Amino acid sequence: MNPQPQKAIVQVTRKFSASAERVFDAWLDPNTAGKWLFATPTGKMVKVKIDARVGGSYLIVESRDGIDVDHTGEYLEIDRPRRLVFTLKVPKYSQESTRLTIEIRALESGCELTLTHEGVLPDYIARTTSGWNMILDHLAATLQSQAAPPFLTK
Amino acid sequence: MKLASSTTQSTWLALADPTRRSILERLSHGEARVTELARPFCMSLNAVSKHIRVLERARLIRRRRAGREHFLSFNPDPLAGAAAWIEVQRSLWMSRLDALDALLQAQDAAAARTPRRKDKFR
Repeated sequence: MNPQPQKAIVQVTRKFSASAERVFDAWLDPNTAGKWLFATPTGKMVKVKIDARVGGSYLIVESRDGIDVDHTGEYLEIDRPRRLVFTLKVPKYSQESTRLTIEIRALESGCELTLTHEGVLPDYIARTTSGWNMILDHLAATLQSQAAPPFLTK
Repeated sequence: MKLASSTTQSTWLALADPTRRSILERLSHGEARVTELARPFCMSLNAVSKHIRVLERARLIRRRRAGREHFLSFNPDPLAGAAAWIEVQRSLWMSRLDALDALLQAQDAAAARTPRRKDKFR
């Protein structure tokens, strides 16, 4: 039992030349989602079931080295093409459910997607002691990827 | 080193703000006075001090006093385990979004011969 889970947040921002609608739909259309979401270069997509409504669930199964890895969760918010919130659980790796928020902002051409992945810090990670300097690389990358940091734009 | 839950919570809270991440980025290059930190941020000293207090509570920065001067430095300890995890997750999502972009661009290329626009939105 873990009464007070250790929270972690990962955020990624990326621009797309495609429209907000197309980028949004790529998360919910089984034909498209199966080609990239939870797909790995050496894996083989086995099953993509998506019930794209609030309260609906999904199951995306990829075979990796002959082992089926399930990705499953429930849709919490669907606001096309701006916002999509769903949970994610990968039972093979963890019983904890994490939460994903996809926010899409239309640009003059294309769109910008911000992904926020909130979850609990796995126990084994809390024991890891190496790699603190990686976060600095991460910070630098984050700062460089922001064209105009919020604190400079007033 | 085992991290207490409350410590990790405050670590993530502290890192959630871009100004605080920038302050840490600056301090990772060496210690600095509060006034030096405030300068590049177009912010009042007071506003920067608030960010610094959040970072101090999360033990991400240390304060050293020399006479009337206060010097701040970066303390990486609370990040130890979390850093690797966040980096792995971040690169996973980056490569997934790269794959999505490549897929959409491939669709565009395929559809280029038969342009058919469906712009329902203003």
